[in-house]
Amino acid sequence: MSDLVSINVDGVDIEVPAGTTVVDAAMRADIQIPVFCHHPKLEPVGMCRMCLVRIGMPVRDRATGELLKEPDGSVQYNWGRTLQTGCTVRVAPGMHVVTNSAEAKDARDDIIEFLLTSHPLDCPICDKGGECPLQNLTMAHGGGTSRFNFNDKLTNDKSVPLGELIYLDRERCIQCARCTRFQSEIADDPVIAFHNRGRHLEIVTMSDPGFDSYWSGNTTDICPVGALTTADFRFGARPWELTPAATLSPHDAAGENITVSTRREAKSGGRVVVKRIMPRQNEWVNEIWISDRTRFVHHFAEAADRLKMPLVRKNGQLTPTTWDEALTLVAEKLAATGEQAAGLAGDRLSNEDLFMFQKLFRKALNKNNNIDLANKRLAGGDVTADVGIASGSNLGDLGKGDTIVVIATDLHEEVPIWWLRVKQASERGARLIVLNVRETRLDKHASFVMHYAPGQAIAVAGNLLEHDEEVATAVRDADNLVIFYGYEGLSYDETDALARTLGNLLLETEHVGRPNNGLIAVWPRNNTQGVWDMAVHPGLTPGYRADRNPGLDANAIYAGAESGDITALYIVGADPVGDGLMPGRGALDFMVVQELFLTETAQLADVVLPAQSWLERDGTFTNGERRVQRYNPAIQKVGDSRPDWQILAQVIEKITEGSEKTPFAASLVFSKEIAKSVRAYKDMDYRTLGQVVEQFPKVGGDDLYYGGTSYANEAGIGQQWSASAESKKPKKPFDVPELDVTRPAGLVLLRVAALYTPGTLNQYSELLHARMAKPTVMLHYADADQLGIADGMSLVLRVNGTELPATASIQDGVPSGVALLRGFAWRKGLESAEIVKVQTPITA
Amino acid sequence: MIKKSYATEIEDILSRYPTKRSAVLPLMHLAQQEYGYMSDEAKREVAEILDLDPTHILSIAGFYTLYYEEPVGRYVLEVCNDLACALRGADDFLDMVLGKLDVDLHGTTDDGLFTVKNVMCIGACDRAPVLQCNLKFHEHLDEAKFDALVDQWRSDSAEQTSIVDQIIAGRTE
Repeated sequence: MSDLVSINVDGVDIEVPAGTTVVDAAMRADIQIPVFCHHPKLEPVGMCRMCLVRIGMPVRDRATGELLKEPDGSVQYNWGRTLQTGCTVRVAPGMHVVTNSAEAKDARDDIIEFLLTSHPLDCPICDKGGECPLQNLTMAHGGGTSRFNFNDKLTNDKSVPLGELIYLDRERCIQCARCTRFQSEIADDPVIAFHNRGRHLEIVTMSDPGFDSYWSGNTTDICPVGALTTADFRFGARPWELTPAATLSPHDAAGENITVSTRREAKSGGRVVVKRIMPRQNEWVNEIWISDRTRFVHHFAEAADRLKMPLVRKNGQLTPTTWDEALTLVAEKLAATGEQAAGLAGDRLSNEDLFMFQKLFRKALNKNNNIDLANKRLAGGDVTADVGIASGSNLGDLGKGDTIVVIATDLHEEVPIWWLRVKQASERGARLIVLNVRETRLDKHASFVMHYAPGQAIAVAGNLLEHDEEVATAVRDADNLVIFYGYEGLSYDETDALARTLGNLLLETEHVGRPNNGLIAVWPRNNTQGVWDMAVHPGLTPGYRADRNPGLDANAIYAGAESGDITALYIVGADPVGDGLMPGRGALDFMVVQELFLTETAQLADVVLPAQSWLERDGTFTNGERRVQRYNPAIQKVGDSRPDWQILAQVIEKITEGSEKTPFAASLVFSKEIAKSVRAYKDMDYRTLGQVVEQFPKVGGDDLYYGGTSYANEAGIGQQWSASAESKKPKKPFDVPELDVTRPAGLVLLRVAALYTPGTLNQYSELLHARMAKPTVMLHYADADQLGIADGMSLVLRVNGTELPATASIQDGVPSGVALLRGFAWRKGLESAEIVKVQTPITA
Repeated sequence: MIKKSYATEIEDILSRYPTKRSAVLPLMHLAQQEYGYMSDEAKREVAEILDLDPTHILSIAGFYTLYYEEPVGRYVLEVCNDLACALRGADDFLDMVLGKLDVDLHGTTDDGLFTVKNVMCIGACDRAPVLQCNLKFHEHLDEAKFDALVDQWRSDSAEQTSIVDQIIAGRTE
């Protein structure tokens, strides 16, 4: 860490890192200097003048450098001629700061009086009312009267949409520029800006769609007044009516910490409903930011078509029934099937669910290992278990001297918070090497970019030390080296080879086993890591121990269901039929699906069991940095749904005739079963996962004017489990399988991720419909010419008998020989689809 | 498309700055001269040339009074009636101008020829009443001088100042 500097604030001596501003320094001693424009995560600007303080510096003799003394022997201070803004002055040794003098208070009172000359004080109808910095500081500093004429107040539009997500109330804005600075400094989307001057200043946007950023919601958190509000929460509830629940983003592998605010309300029939989602501080994971997908995609949990009752097929129809009947049927059928039963799970499930799932097969069904992840896209969990990013890491610590490699992934679209943190590391001086088939948003911040031919990812990773001297040095001599890898344009087997190749690179350059070094898999879902850890895998048992009698993997299970080798299939939290992995029931005698919705797969099942969404229950997810984090229930259960782990445990209880009892709570599944079986989790339970530490900047307390309305973390920062390279000597290199990576001649189709891809969860958030990625085939102009495809032409993708409509887009950034498919939900066979031109009359 | 019609001028302007975005003000003048005002289209074109978000151009257009975000007449008459000028009769002069042209303040004449605005200090207090027409100053004005100017403008014989020419020549008033 940087050097410490000693200063004195209001008589309290404190030591803070050099470069800290006076306001941030005082906050460390719990002395709150009021601010509006200052935000600890943004560069200082000194616009609002609220933080005026008196600052004195010790006086030195210019000739000797000695400190000058007052007649009484004390150090002489130069207190300057005016008050200074504490947010723009950085600490210096010996500095004395007075924040509580009558002079400083007077100055602040005056600033508030100025700010209120045009503020409407419409707190009773304002969404921010109750948690508003301006309201709080007006109570502390505002006079009961103003010297300004009330009739001089400007009246202005109170409902200006900056796009469909964020609304601006022009009257309330106090022109602090927190929002515009956040968008340009942090989000790198400078799509909102000031317009006009003085009292007429307002925030405007000209992007298409308006306020076009994946981070727009964060501006409403840090807005110190009610000027910016989200369309989701606007006029939805008063802050004091809300009950917060600490939970996690269920959308991506970063595991952003969030707080879900709920209210029980008459207009929702007396139910407890979600009113808003806000960030919860975790400086190791998401700091105080969340992407708009995390903030706005929650409506699926309360959707009207959620499954509410167990369904059993009777006379060909799925018919509502009791839990007991459904569970008894499942238990009987599975027990009778034995070795010909198989299970497929999704990677949105919690660790508790996944553990119970494998226990059902391994324990209740007598060492049946026919279980796997239903939709396998990215391999390498066994590699990250060895050389994954070490415990104690924080992407926020990476900077000068460090190197980050990002390969075969588009972080901005897949895991936005990692994009943000990698971008910031590069701004702090870390060298960033971005390797992909095509341009991605991160290229702009990289010191080295390479666009390789499709299929060449493994070769590029293997030759990283030979390719370019500068790159080789950056990788070999990095103080710390972190490598992100994904699956863009790669088959599952290729991602496995890629992970091993990268593992060897880390071993060779000795970047394993210590904090801020290692491999990070950009998993497709929030708990793909948990699928590996809990060993929902045909060849591993919990704790990454190889099983001597491996079962069938997902591909073999799909083939077995088709051929009749598998007769009973249990699917939890996955839709293989919808994903094109399974054509139908095949020759299955019995099929159980445990789900939130009646998916294409569930429609074919014999028994459908209604599961609870992540909002209704507790559990743990393990993120891509192997941080195990807890989430808590926010709303009541929908219908008669049950948590996945409980359903599975009840099936186990029935099959074992009561010798394996259903645990009372998810916490017991974790502490009594997972912690005992999974070596890496042995020191964890819900209590240790719930531990908190002091985080800087301090946000979310009663000082909320300081960091905005994000929530302080009172529910735990989680625990990162140790990769094996941390305790063992570096092992021998990984075996990299030889693969034929040549692509068939002709145009290579390659699916690229989009944050708002139409899919089961996104579609319920109507707010985002206009921003959903339209299904697009992006082509290089030469390829388009050859195919006779014009920009904007209607196309159809034929995938195994399914036709998907799309629009052609000819773009400069697309490599030749490649067609990029954007806005398509993942589907097996998509990348070998046939592109067909649609002859439709051209309409205006 | 100014990108095409002013390709050499744009290249010349860009060559004067170390970074592209620094050329934003002259390019906005150029776009305004082409379109008469900073239309949304003009903003987007400038943004595209400079690799900036159009919001950035919108913000600058909103900050500086010499960029017009609404259509204006062919001649924009900006009369200073700040305190110093007012003491030299600028208010009366402005009223006279509005009456003569039969137009409201900030309005445009029906023939689309004149827009009259009042402005705050253009740095010519000692020569008031003063008006600025399309960036050219006319000083020590009275009714007779103004009539003569209007005749010139109406007959299209007035000397036209092209902001683009000025920028290229390296002098802007």
